[in-house]
Amino acid sequence: MMETEVRDQMMHRLIKVLGRTRVLSSRPDLVPYTKDTYRIRYDEDYKYFPDAVVFPETTADVKGIVEIAADLKVPTIPKGGGSNRTGMLVPLTGGIVVDTIRMNRIVEVSVPNLYVTVQPGITLKELEDELAKHGLALNQEQGSFKVATIGGSISTSGFSRKHQKYGTIADRVMSLEVVLANGKVMRTGPKILYTSTGYRLQQLFVGAEGTLGIITEATLRVEPIPEAKDAILAFYHDFWSANEAALRTMSSCVTFTGGEAYEVEDATSLGAPQGRNGLFYLGFEGTKGEVHAQVEFVKKIVHETGGVLAKHDDAAKFMEKYTSQWCGARALTGFEDALTTYVPVEHMREFFEKLWGEVMPKHGSAPLPGEKFSLDVGRYRIMAGRFYLPKGEGAWEKYQALLRDIAKLTTRLGGSISSCHGVGIEHKDNLDLEYSEVALDVMRDLKKAIDPDNIMNPGKMLPDKK
Amino acid sequence: MDAELVQMAEVAEACSRCRCGCCKDQCPMYSELLEESISPKGRNALIRSVLNGAVEPDERAVRIAYSCLLCRRDEQSCVAGLRNSDATEAFRRYLIEKGAKLLPEHAALAKSLDNYGNPWQESRAARKRWAKGLQDKKLVPGKTSTLFYVGCTFALDRTLDDGPKALASLMDKAGVDYGLLLEDEVCCGSTAKRIGDIKLFEKLRRENEKRIRGTGVENIVTACAGCFKTLEQDYPDLSEDISIMHSTQFISELIANDKLHFPKREVKVTYHDPCHLGRHSDVYDAPRRVLLSVPGLELVEMKSSRQTARCCGGGAGVKTAYPEVSQKAAAKRIREAEETGAEVLITTCPFCVQTLRGAASAVGSKLKVEELSVFLDNLSHERGGGHR
Repeated sequence: MMETEVRDQMMHRLIKVLGRTRVLSSRPDLVPYTKDTYRIRYDEDYKYFPDAVVFPETTADVKGIVEIAADLKVPTIPKGGGSNRTGMLVPLTGGIVVDTIRMNRIVEVSVPNLYVTVQPGITLKELEDELAKHGLALNQEQGSFKVATIGGSISTSGFSRKHQKYGTIADRVMSLEVVLANGKVMRTGPKILYTSTGYRLQQLFVGAEGTLGIITEATLRVEPIPEAKDAILAFYHDFWSANEAALRTMSSCVTFTGGEAYEVEDATSLGAPQGRNGLFYLGFEGTKGEVHAQVEFVKKIVHETGGVLAKHDDAAKFMEKYTSQWCGARALTGFEDALTTYVPVEHMREFFEKLWGEVMPKHGSAPLPGEKFSLDVGRYRIMAGRFYLPKGEGAWEKYQALLRDIAKLTTRLGGSISSCHGVGIEHKDNLDLEYSEVALDVMRDLKKAIDPDNIMNPGKMLPDKK
Repeated sequence: MDAELVQMAEVAEACSRCRCGCCKDQCPMYSELLEESISPKGRNALIRSVLNGAVEPDERAVRIAYSCLLCRRDEQSCVAGLRNSDATEAFRRYLIEKGAKLLPEHAALAKSLDNYGNPWQESRAARKRWAKGLQDKKLVPGKTSTLFYVGCTFALDRTLDDGPKALASLMDKAGVDYGLLLEDEVCCGSTAKRIGDIKLFEKLRRENEKRIRGTGVENIVTACAGCFKTLEQDYPDLSEDISIMHSTQFISELIANDKLHFPKREVKVTYHDPCHLGRHSDVYDAPRRVLLSVPGLELVEMKSSRQTARCCGGGAGVKTAYPEVSQKAAAKRIREAEETGAEVLITTCPFCVQTLRGAASAVGSKLKVEELSVFLDNLSHERGGGHR
């Protein structure tokens, strides 16, 4: 808890820098900032109130806020759209939530150099809409497209459904401007894509969850909007037969934007024949000629693997609907969590068999209907699924033990615990399974060198040294 | 807790299980203020925290409760289909029943409703001011089956009273036998209900229902989208055996029955769906059918229309409590309308007309904002007939 005297001083100085209307401190205003979409410990629902929420609009505002925080040694928690799922926005020790949502300007669009420079609070959707006016696209499409911001996406190292052709946000970052814990403003390097000079400082802030500084500007690689787009949707008897098509596609030379193989409860509403609940879909973008050739190539794979192609309109409709969904109606399904584990594809069967056959039942959990198997097709091999949280006495402890066992299984198979939702609080104590103590020590040393007083989103991502 | 409050708690609880924020980018209030607390997700979090005792329902909580236009646009983006708007309306009521005071900006409206049966501090007699020359239309019980229920804003706002005049004229032209309550008409209670003053609403509802019942009518026609929603959805006894129609539905029927038609008019118009008529009542086609019955008329849809139509910013007490945000929301709607290249922006709710006209003037738009009945009636006058 922050001492009253410190809080009073902090509030006084924040209001001086930002004005009264850009500093919130009443409890009704702070409630939505007590947590992100992470399933917080049940008895700690209203435990973590920030002391203030501030709305910077410029780099100078952020610098002013961080200088106050550094001086008073109070935590800062940078926030974008607020859609994080691992608790990285929870103000564990109070402090200042720095809501970057009003830093939503496009600073520069460089058509000849194919980059855009933006403030961090612009959402992925807002940016795509604006870029389209210039004939450009960032191609970062994810479920939280309308909510997630550029700053949040970089800080989480987020996913894109078009990863295969365009990479993820990590591959898009060319240069960043960051306010460091001492209030200094750092530009990581020139706004260029390739260089062989110096450390790639911008990559240090990708997936850093705001623990090293607050991103105030990002320069991102963009691409011209392609001439043609198309999609294929095919139905199989189950996930594993759809997976055959996925594996064949992945081992071929065909280019596609991204896709998925998965199994639903009932695919008839998508136009599938009865009993064919395994789905395989791919997206394609490029020149008309190449898209046509790619589609024909994959149709052949579908034919050879026993798939039934959906009608072209049904595939297009499916893609449109699928890309507009995110939360999967968690409001209706109740207490559940999602896996974004990355597992080398040769271990997929073993992973899913052990996950649903051993790990989940051991902790009293089970998959949500139609959410048992999912594979992102391409190099980004998310093995996804959604599961109910354990219930009853000791539910929280069971949930933590379940997460630990999932992490053990994933890392034993050479994978990553969280491929796109970050670490936050949820996976922090399991990071030792994925990284050696030597690697974790390097991370801790880096954090200490840049943020010696631990004011940048403390308590997130890095596990305490044992 | 009664059913409305139980549903409010359920919405807040369901939202807390998800907290995705998909509602935010469609919320006109959040889009302007960009504060989590001023969003459907934020208000649901507040409701839950107040019910759980984690947050006191203080003055700020009350102000947040009134930061919603109840437009339901956000609900179109909610995968779970949560009725955030109903939850917020119920929360206002909950706060008042727990002893919270109405916002000072709303207290004046409530006092006027209590004293004069309208929110605009006008005498009861002023309600018949618009109806000069129509005194013979005073409804005689048992003689007329259709009541034209005018509503406070159309009757009392001098800049809008061409609306009821126009609808009366159209009904005359179509040979409709209708009657008016004139000074005996009482506010439907929409304002009281939306600001959560349920006692006041019930008082108005009882008074209104008694007067309407006393006339023995079988049909009610109203041009006000707010009155329509309220009479149809918040007067369960009345709507059980009396047909309640919005003027656009009524006119659409008259056209379909060949009782009304319009002269040719080559004009490009766009139509704004009032929230109370569109998302709240699912009436999207009738006004469009009416407009398209005008020969030569080109109807161009705005970027957001029907279920996803932007709110004008004038509803649910927000215009009074958050005037700047309301103006910005209205200005955005005007810009959308301008982008269509239309000469006239047509709508069917007095609040929308008022708010959008104000915004058009504030941003220097050349766009003409007109109420549908007025637009239609002027067509006949401009060309000197064309109706039956």
